[in-house]
Order: sequence, then structure tokens, then C-alpha cells
Amino acid sequence: MFRIPLLVALALAIAFGGGIASAVWALKATVGFGSISIGPWVAFPEAQTENADPYAKAHRARAGELLYGGAEGLMFMAQVDDRGEKLSAACSYDVSGLTPQARFWTLYAANADGVPLRPGSDLPSAINSWTVLRAEDSSFTIHVSPNAKPDNWVALRHSGTFRLVLTLLDTPTAGSSGLIDLAMPKIVKTGCGDA
Amino acid sequence: MRSVLFASILGLVGAALLHIIIVLVLPQFTGRDAYTRVLGLLEMDSFFSLTSTPGPTGLSNDDPYLRTAVCSFSITDGPARFLARGAVPFWSLAVFDSASNEVFSMNDHTAVNGRLDLVVATPIQLVELRKTPPEALAQSIMVEMKEEDGYAVLRAMAPLDSFEDQVRNFLAESSCEPFRR
Repeated sequence: MFRIPLLVALALAIAFGGGIASAVWALKATVGFGSISIGPWVAFPEAQTENADPYAKAHRARAGELLYGGAEGLMFMAQVDDRGEKLSAACSYDVSGLTPQARFWTLYAANADGVPLRPGSDLPSAINSWTVLRAEDSSFTIHVSPNAKPDNWVALRHSGTFRLVLTLLDTPTAGSSGLIDLAMPKIVKTGCGDA
Repeated sequence: MRSVLFASILGLVGAALLHIIIVLVLPQFTGRDAYTRVLGLLEMDSFFSLTSTPGPTGLSNDDPYLRTAVCSFSITDGPARFLARGAVPFWSLAVFDSASNEVFSMNDHTAVNGRLDLVVATPIQLVELRKTPPEALAQSIMVEMKEEDGYAVLRAMAPLDSFEDQVRNFLAESSCEPFRR
């Protein structure tokens, strides 16, 4: 007697439960299609444009961030190191190499939601292309670590995972798809804990 | 048993449809997209400098070296004009429509004499401006925008703490006003 209503209820439960859950999951898991990735660094050069795919549009409407325009810059994010392991705030990392051509760049650490970490006003929380110390060939090595380091140090005071955000400002790479050939700095884990 | 399977498959088809509908319709209903947040600052027609901690609508300076100011505007009654000048190492401006699609973006190297002087107008307003160009807009960059409402984001860079005052002045003195002849 209750078979038909039960079947209808089952179909509706799967439809609404599955539909809502999968949509929420998809919007949390990714910013959309059309990403470019260089090593661990990922960027979405078209996320702010009319041409963005529906997932990117839904994601940016939910996140409500002020995105960079094409002539402003391009934001790269890294959640893993060069070996594909998640960045952990208990470990130290070396970010070394060169950035693609840009007039400025800034590097800071953010939590899993993209909110910048603020370790305190007495600690260096970020670094940019003016303040970074470079080697003779203009490459740089930035120590991202919870422990004090010489030379370029970005302090971490956080628990769990974090992400690194490298923003290239006024870069010709934002508008071109030739970015794949360009090199981004490497992220190498140098140790965990107090070592 | 077969009817349970049939109901499950029907449910999955429904779930797929609902997934697509949610993703497509969501941008109109989130209530926390960038345009709504900028509007919520209640600062129509002037640039509002953001703070480093999230403000009343959750907008903040995300990048530690970039200071951001936002302005919501409407060109229904006439074009909007954006002006800024000053010595900062880097500034950039992006104009978005109410759906947060980029309309135009520029930086200090693509500006005339490094100054910001931009007019955003509807296609019809733009035709009138071109027919009888006002003296004041001789140096201005004209941009066409199909939608009538939008917001602008002005960023200025302070790579060192000593630039802080310069950048604050630059953003405070920038303007975002309706243009009148």
C-alpha cells in the first residue's frame, strides 16, 4: 500500500540530497575549469571574466572576493609542495627560483580558506619583490617556517595546513596561454618540527 | 526490487538536473557576492578604503602589500568618471559589472601620464560624448559598459611601510563620480 509513496520519497531524497551535496562539494573543491598549473602553483586567469565557466561564476559569487583584472595581476596559489604533499604549518619550506616576468610580486601564507595568516606585527608575514634578498643571478630563496631563519623569512604561526599565495602584478602572462612554459619557484620541504 | 532500482536511477537523474540548476542559478542568489558586498558599504559614488581586517560586509585588504578601495556606481543617469593621481609604486584599477564580470582593467603603465582618468559609459552615452567631446575629457580613457550598474576596485601598492602614507593619500584623494558637463 505504501510502496508507491515510498519509491517516490526515495527518488526525491536521492535527487535533492545528491543534487545539493554534489553542488556544494563541487563549489568547495574547485574554483572552476580553465586553471593553469605550473608545478604546485595553480591560477585561474579567466575566473573574473564573462567567459568563466558556470562553476567559476558560482564559486566567485559564493566567495565574494575582489578578483584581479587582466591588467592588474594574476594570483597563484599552492596547497602542496613539489612532491605533492600538503603544506603543513608545522614544517619548514624553501620557496626558491624565479617568478615569471612581472613588475611586482608578493608572497604570503594563507589558511585553507584563503584568509591571510597574521603571525603578529613583530614577525615577517609576507615578502615582495622589493624586499626580497636575491642571489647574484637574481634568483631567490624564501624560507617559510615557524622557526626564525636568516635571509628571507616568512613566519608561520598556525596549526594544520596552509597555502602559499604568490601574486604577480602587471604581468604579461595574465593574458596569454603561453604560461605553461614559464617557470615558477619550487617549494621544497626542509624539515618538520623544531629541527 | 526492479522498481526500487528504477526509483534510484530516477533519483540520480534528478540529482544531476538539480546539480546543474543549483550551479547555474546560484550566482543570482548567494547574497554575498562581491557586488552585494561593495553595495553594502553604502558608499555610492566615492572610493571606500578597505581595512586589513574584514569590514562590515566581509571585504578586506587580502594582500599585505596592496591597499584596496572600492566604489559602486551606476551609469543609468550619466557616465561615471574615475580620477586618481599621485606617486605610488604601482596602482591598478578594475571595473566590474553587477555580475562581477570584468569590464575593463588597467594599471599605471597603461594610463596617460600615469594618472587615472577613466570614463565608463553606456554605448548611447558614449556616442554623445564622441559627437561633442567635452574639453575636460580630452585625456580620458573611454570605456563602454553594457550593464548599468557595477563596481570599481582601485589597488595601490605599498611595498615598504614608508609608502603607507602616500598610498593612503592616493586612495583618499581618488574620486569616483557621475560625470556632468
